[in-house]
Amino acid sequence: MNRAPLIFLGIFFTVAFSWTGIVLTNHLMYADLQPVFDENEGRAFPQPLPGDALRGKEVYRDLGCMYCHSQQVRHPGFGTDIQRGWGERGSVARDYIHERRVYLGTMRTGPDLRNVGARFAGEGGRNWHIQHFYNPTEVSNVTLSNGRTYGSIMPPYRFLFRTQPIIGEPSPRSVQHLLPAKDQPPVGHEIVLTQRGEDLIAYLLALKDPPLYPEEARRVYVPPAQPDRGEPRPGTAPESTREVLQ
Amino acid sequence: MSATLTESLRPTATPELAKRVELSAIDASTRGPVLYFLGSSILWLILGTVFALIASIKMHAPEFLGDSEWLTWGRVRTAHLNAVAFGWSVNASFAVAIWLMARLARAEVRHAGMLTLAAVFWNVGLTIGIFGILAGDSTSIEWLEIPPYATPILFVAYALIGAWALITFRFGRSQHIYVSQWYILGALFWFPSIYSVAQVMLLLEPTRGTVQSLVNWWFAHNFIGLWLTPIGVGAIYYFLPKVLGKPIHSYYLSILGFWSLALFYNWAGVHHLIGGPVPVWVQTAGIAASFMMVVPVLVTAINHHLTMVGSFSALKYSPTLRFIVFGAVNYTLTSLVGSLASMRSFSEVVHFTQHTVAHAHHGLYSFFTMVMFGAVYYIVPRVTLKEWPSVKLISLHFWTVAIGNIAMIGALTIGGIEQGINMNVLPTNPDGTAGEPMAFLNVMAQTLKWLEWRTYSGILITVGHVAFAINFAWMLWQPRKPGITQPALFRNAPDMEVAR
Amino acid sequence: MPEWFLYFVAMPMAVLIVSSAVYALYWASKKGQLRNLEEGAKVIFDEEEPLGKPTDQTLNQPKPPKKKNR
Repeated sequence: MNRAPLIFLGIFFTVAFSWTGIVLTNHLMYADLQPVFDENEGRAFPQPLPGDALRGKEVYRDLGCMYCHSQQVRHPGFGTDIQRGWGERGSVARDYIHERRVYLGTMRTGPDLRNVGARFAGEGGRNWHIQHFYNPTEVSNVTLSNGRTYGSIMPPYRFLFRTQPIIGEPSPRSVQHLLPAKDQPPVGHEIVLTQRGEDLIAYLLALKDPPLYPEEARRVYVPPAQPDRGEPRPGTAPESTREVLQ
Repeated sequence: MSATLTESLRPTATPELAKRVELSAIDASTRGPVLYFLGSSILWLILGTVFALIASIKMHAPEFLGDSEWLTWGRVRTAHLNAVAFGWSVNASFAVAIWLMARLARAEVRHAGMLTLAAVFWNVGLTIGIFGILAGDSTSIEWLEIPPYATPILFVAYALIGAWALITFRFGRSQHIYVSQWYILGALFWFPSIYSVAQVMLLLEPTRGTVQSLVNWWFAHNFIGLWLTPIGVGAIYYFLPKVLGKPIHSYYLSILGFWSLALFYNWAGVHHLIGGPVPVWVQTAGIAASFMMVVPVLVTAINHHLTMVGSFSALKYSPTLRFIVFGAVNYTLTSLVGSLASMRSFSEVVHFTQHTVAHAHHGLYSFFTMVMFGAVYYIVPRVTLKEWPSVKLISLHFWTVAIGNIAMIGALTIGGIEQGINMNVLPTNPDGTAGEPMAFLNVMAQTLKWLEWRTYSGILITVGHVAFAINFAWMLWQPRKPGITQPALFRNAPDMEVAR
Repeated sequence: MPEWFLYFVAMPMAVLIVSSAVYALYWASKKGQLRNLEEGAKVIFDEEEPLGKPTDQTLNQPKPPKKKNR
């Protein structure tokens, strides 16, 4: 007896079923989310990344940063992201609509980077990133109660820098004044950040989500209607309303 | 011309071939492609293990090879994943699938040269892909990192292999489709479907926003669930009864297991996005499907166990059975852990931690890879008509990888749960209010010891892989004894006396 | 979420999928595909590798196994 037709039918339908449910339905449901225009600011949010940050995202891709760093803030009451200062609110689908490639990430060997541009901003943020990329283990460390000091396990990214002889005037982009004594270049040389390094830092400085969009705010932060679920913490969306959140 | 081609494809077309083919003849017809696939899979296994060791050492000693851009953690880890997933696992799957399909369909493989050509294509494409990853062309989409310029080569290879498997199946003479064939046919159809959809929706014409993440995890989890798992489970359903010489306990249960796997595994991938910016209903569907996976898993586990009952002493003699049973037990364990970890409250703690890494290795290594090892120990003597040259190396292989596995998965599971509690659970103050979360660097410092454990267990596993590779190369190297039609040790002792 | 999608795409699709599954099962049982299931378990055995004979004794090497077999 030959069961082949039955088997093939089943094999086809099971995969078609999950593709319809997980991929197609959601593609039709929310792949066309639009930015929201803010009257007060006169701009639409979320804003697309500027060009240098987009180039930096390519460096982020090529070095595989997303295997240690997620880019999604969990909602209040689920995990500790808000308490850690990784964001002021949970991430929503609309935050990602401009991204040609989305790096939500599945590992947090390092901290979440969705709003790293808010934690490290401006000239100071750039300098910190330079020092940190050169020497992560020394810039980030912690001393535990057992007296031992542990440095960050982020690998160094010294290959994003270049040591070059000073020809004529020193480069305005030289960075060795930010580095410790042991890392100073030989006399007559300077350390500069490569273009890829500049771009990557521009990307990290640009990573920051705007305040919650009105539509999501309406759907998420309605007052809880279920007293039996207990008193929600301030700023916590009750479970029932969180469920509509995309 | 076309008539000749059709006839050459259809063994039944010529009367003298229409007689029942001997198993040994079928085995011999698969020799070229099977050995080519296995040889390349073992080379990838060694290379992937080296990448894994580098990545593992870097996790606790970040300055190790720190100035090499090509071997920076994000790239070497990705190279490891692709080398073992698409190099070792898929090459080994192809070998096992071809051999099993030919045997179960009772058909010699026709034009085996085309399959070998496909194997060349697959491995050339993969070499280009992994070189591209190390050079910085990775797509950084999990499980789809191979750069787009290498993918078409993989598609060509796959099309050849899939077509040949179907031809073997279609023109085979077996009247019955054994359950292993169900699984393999499913895998052969599912993999290209999900791979093409993912390529189109993520790389060619990317969909927008976090729908991408859904496509990504629908593909990535289904690569494991609809390719590796069916091949592994299908292999267990063949080798377990075959080695023991008794039929599977309940054929009905095996078919129930197949359909429930096909129905539920498909949907489970979304559990990688729990708590993320994707619709909650689809997360819930993923959790429900992950939980329903308990059905096929328990059904399969019970069936395997009841087949084994009364025959445990065979574990002493058969390396195939040892590896297969180790794999089957861990299929049950890893699936149950997976169902548990997809629960929202458990996922809140262990998502984003080393627990995920432990779970991935539990499924891909302790289950799938061990089953493939067992299959290799069974298949190679039959297609080469030689004995394994060193029994000691087989034992060394088994014990190092078995102990290494348990140590690594144990360390990372416990370490991951500790890391998750430190990272994702707020401590409670004495007055009952929620305290501050543990500083992130503290979490990392607490996790370090477990990461070191992984390196130690990884070294043990590397020893096992080297022993395996040496034994395999030695076997191919040694000359075949004349007049042998079947490896002696694959018949039981009294049989040996008569069958000569 | 567009409501039309639910009514005009998702639900008909679900109905279609479920009904074809039911039909496939009906077809299978009518054609006798579900009878004699347990017989299938034995198809992997034949005269060459018969039922009741374990295969693979690789780790059970008699003293010098080759000599005995010669």
